[in-house]
Amino acid sequence: MRLLLVEDELDIQSFLRSSLEEAGYQVEAAADGKSAERLAAEGVFDILIVDLGLPDMDGISLILRLRQLGVKAPVLILSARRSVDDRVRGLEQGGDDYLTKPFALAELLARLRNLLKRNSPPGNEATRLRVLDLELDLLRHEASRSGQILQLTPQEFVLLEYLCRNAGRVVTRSMILDQVWGMRIQPDTNVVDVHIYRLRGKVDGKGQQPLIRTLRGVGYVLKDR
Amino acid sequence: MRSAAWRISLWATLAFACGTMLVFVFLHRFVADDIQRRSDAWLSGEIEVLEDVAERTPKDALYSRVVGEVAELASKEVPNKLPSDTGSNDSVFFLQTGSDGSLKLWVGAGSGELTLRAIKASAFLPDRPMDLHVSGFAIPFRVASLRLDDGTRIYLGLSERDELRVLRALGLRFVSLWFLLVLLGFGIVFFTTRRMLSHVREISEAASRIGHSDLNSRVPTTQRNDEVGNLARTLNRMLDRIESSMHQLHTITDSLAHDLRSPLTAIRGKLEMSLSAAQDEQIEPIVSAIEELDRLSEFLNQSLDVAEAKADALRLTPTEIELDELFRVMIDLYEPSMSERGLQIRLHSGGPMKVTADAALIHRMIANLFDNELKHLPAASSVTVQLKAQDDMALLVLEDDGPGFAAEVIQHLFERRVKGRESNGHGLGLAFVDAVVRAHGGAVTAGNREGGGARIVITLPLTSDALKNSAA
Repeated sequence: MRLLLVEDELDIQSFLRSSLEEAGYQVEAAADGKSAERLAAEGVFDILIVDLGLPDMDGISLILRLRQLGVKAPVLILSARRSVDDRVRGLEQGGDDYLTKPFALAELLARLRNLLKRNSPPGNEATRLRVLDLELDLLRHEASRSGQILQLTPQEFVLLEYLCRNAGRVVTRSMILDQVWGMRIQPDTNVVDVHIYRLRGKVDGKGQQPLIRTLRGVGYVLKDR
Repeated sequence: MRSAAWRISLWATLAFACGTMLVFVFLHRFVADDIQRRSDAWLSGEIEVLEDVAERTPKDALYSRVVGEVAELASKEVPNKLPSDTGSNDSVFFLQTGSDGSLKLWVGAGSGELTLRAIKASAFLPDRPMDLHVSGFAIPFRVASLRLDDGTRIYLGLSERDELRVLRALGLRFVSLWFLLVLLGFGIVFFTTRRMLSHVREISEAASRIGHSDLNSRVPTTQRNDEVGNLARTLNRMLDRIESSMHQLHTITDSLAHDLRSPLTAIRGKLEMSLSAAQDEQIEPIVSAIEELDRLSEFLNQSLDVAEAKADALRLTPTEIELDELFRVMIDLYEPSMSERGLQIRLHSGGPMKVTADAALIHRMIANLFDNELKHLPAASSVTVQLKAQDDMALLVLEDDGPGFAAEVIQHLFERRVKGRESNGHGLGLAFVDAVVRAHGGAVTAGNREGGGARIVITLPLTSDALKNSAA
């Protein structure tokens, strides 16, 4: 996966580059709009990360310019601004996504994955999810572990489904709030942790291998091996 | 506005009505005098003719007959003559008295005795026509008299009936003309004032619309160089200045946010990377640093929001929000944490309720309220959320049975940096709630319940479509 990173803050650029490379992306980085245009003209990229505040031009203008040049790859917009610009909203509707700074790396990676998936041809939507001995029937809204049906509330089922779809990858609290409850909030209490704690009580029974792992300071992972 | 148009037109019409009425009264008087003068001239002329006839006619047996005939003839040439009601000639009389004052000759309706009595009762000035009221006649006579050389007196009386009838008809016409004029004047004044004031109304409506939402638009201006045009231009210049200071404020908060968020992003990224490589004993400080940092950036967001809202400059992206549904989701999110702490939360909802608001801000506001309850309530307390529509507002009442607000903070709940002694928050909570609600045109009140516990009441304007539907 070739990724073009356009970010003028060198500190941010460097840690993004190394963590993106660690996640398996081939990263080309540009610090301003001009060099980003040049790089985009030279090579083909699968995905772009563009910061809105570039020294020589507005991030949105750069994206529109690249679109004119024929760049079709989806864009993840990074914004340090307070309000979400109408033009960003427009791009979001056009299939791009945005993320406000500061962000968790896990969330950045998840959004990149979503963007890539959204733009690849849709496969058959699975009706069953399987992670190790955990099984989810999406049609009947039933979850079972080792053949044993789990008594989950509808909300817990949605939460478990989200974890399963991201099995093996880190999901943060704000990603869970966004995807399961549909709100971009940052509560300063442990509301999400309690939900996970309850779900874990139902999913990880006595004597079973714990599936839901807490990564302190980062988020949660549903183990897939 | 309408009442102003009414008031102005009523006063203007009143003044106009008084003025025109004076004009008509004067005209009527003028015409009445003229008619009087004409009939007086006729009377004087006729009585001279009669005098002539009476002098020349020999005082024999035919005297009465000749003078009577002449008087009869004269009465046929009365000015303004209208056909008499009775058919007989009751509009003119001729009377001659002897030198002893007795009735000598009478031409007219009736016997003439009454007329003679009336003449004797009134002090008659010679040679000038006068009004004479004769008993039995509602309308006075205009009477001219002359003294003949032989000591007798002749009187010629003309009933003012016809004259009065003419004047009354004229008066009626004048009154209706006056009424029409006043009506027309009122109409003209009312419509001009209303047109004038409708410009003012358009301006004030546009101005209040601008005050609530977009600062980009301007009040409508006209080409005319009058007061209303000036008002619009002045308002627009003021809006220019407000917009530019608003823009200035946004630039400052934006660049402040940007300048703080960029290093925060870099620090967070580095912390996360070192976390993945950290040994067990290093994890704890890194994790708490990340958590502190997240709290710091949320605090940054909220305090900039509060700052903008205090300046009425909070930028909103309104969408339609269903409050009932939103609260169910929010309570679903918070319920486990609450029951974990031994708290109960209940929702009493009056059914679906739509408001047009910035979803992200409303979400954060509710999260803020619930976080507050979670942090401050002792175990075994309960929280009640009531949701109902009242007039055109959504009314949201959040109550608990905890200790309530401390006495020292209750006066300053909505100020920044106010928090209870035991609170570990950053003291922005209710200031943020207040800022969000006010930016949406609602209001917040907070206080303690009578039985103990805190009570926060929030109103938000309902979406107007929902109002229409509920009215239908």
